Amino acid sequence: MKQEIVNNPDFAALRVVFDAPGEQVIAESGAMLARDTAIEMKTSLQSGIGAAMKRKLLGGESLFQNTFTATAPGQSLWLAPAAEGSIQCIELQPGMELFLQSGAYLASTPGVELDTKWQGAKGFFAKGLFLLKAKGAGLLWFSSYGAMHAVDIGASYAGYIVDNTHMVAFTQGLSYDVQKVGGLKSLFFSGEGLVCNFRGQGRLWMQTRNPSSLVSFLHPFRRVQSKS
Amino acid sequence: MQINLLYQPSQALAQCWLQPGESVLAESGAMVGMTPNVQMQTQSGGMLKGLKRMFGGESFFRNTFLAEGGGGEVLFAPALCGDMAVLDCGARQWNIQNSAYVASTMGVDVHTKAGGMRGFFSGAGLFMLESAGQGQIVIGAYGALEAIQVNGDLVIDTGHIAAWESTLTYSVGKSGSGWIASWLSGEGLVCHFQGQGIVYLQSRNTAEYGGAIGPMLPPRKN
Repeated sequence: MKQEIVNNPDFAALRVVFDAPGEQVIAESGAMLARDTAIEMKTSLQSGIGAAMKRKLLGGESLFQNTFTATAPGQSLWLAPAAEGSIQCIELQPGMELFLQSGAYLASTPGVELDTKWQGAKGFFAKGLFLLKAKGAGLLWFSSYGAMHAVDIGASYAGYIVDNTHMVAFTQGLSYDVQKVGGLKSLFFSGEGLVCNFRGQGRLWMQTRNPSSLVSFLHPFRRVQSKS
Repeated sequence: MQINLLYQPSQALAQCWLQPGESVLAESGAMVGMTPNVQMQTQSGGMLKGLKRMFGGESFFRNTFLAEGGGGEVLFAPALCGDMAVLDCGARQWNIQNSAYVASTMGVDVHTKAGGMRGFFSGAGLFMLESAGQGQIVIGAYGALEAIQVNGDLVIDTGHIAAWESTLTYSVGKSGSGWIASWLSGEGLVCHFQGQGIVYLQSRNTAEYGGAIGPMLPPRKN
């Protein structure tokens, strides 16, 4: 299978061209833009109802995923996330793990396993109790709201602090603490809230915009409900 | 401070490198990420100054980011999708539409200017910002940014102004020949700029965006 990501960082789309019949891509429901008519699409609860429910409730992902199966070489499939932003592809090898912020998952090949990971009480404060953990072997595509900015911790940086609303994904060599920046006054008044302080060895991806800022911007423009 | 703008124009991010002991001041909520040796402090700069800023459409508090024990890096971005620009202050000084301010170096004094009635009608809120001193200001726009050199005259819709050079004089007026025509044109109020200098236009208007989307959202309780 060949894959190409076009229109990063603004309105990214993923195009997959299958080389052989039987090749598969699993995608978040609603992610398909277009496909060759002959590609088979099957909707399912990936890895059973229990795992799907857990992903839905805890990982912010949809209950259903679609599996696209090629029936002939050269067929293509187009996928995109809901909001404007970027797509990143990563090739997972056995023993490698990638952690995704809830909602960042877009698609993967069948060798990739997804699971939710309990973040403990610190996850509760970091909004979104669970991260999605991806492991196995295969391709994984994830998306961001805004552009994706990667930093290599342990190489060009000794550590990195990221605002938790801007965190997208990180590789397994990294550990983090959720902390507030500055003093108590900063927590309530700085507008920065909580941050994740990463260290270790690995790559961290952050997004240059965050949906909650957009929501706060739009909120005052909503009509006010009449009191009657 | 060295500033590198990435992912322009739609999803711009300002990557700022601080010397050891150097700080940068930023709008609250603008920080995306930073190296762990950067210390953030929140300051309102006094109650009155803070309140004045709040009227300016900015948040009450600004944050200082200080690099300790070595050089540091901070990433800043505005809330909405759009471009960013770095304005040099010194030989030139700037007026900035309040919501366009993202960050500034410590040598620049960015203060709220009471625009009076003129400021109010300009759609720039009752207050806008003006710069003094030496250094750099990072601005962020909603939409793309276009730097236009004004020679003589230019009319700009008030909602599309991000920043302008203080050598320019301006007056706020109606767009059409009469008030009714002006209102019907949907252009409302415009700024007439005069003189020589640069104006930064933003290609989208936050008020129109909010006005288009807001009514489609479920009503809020308060």
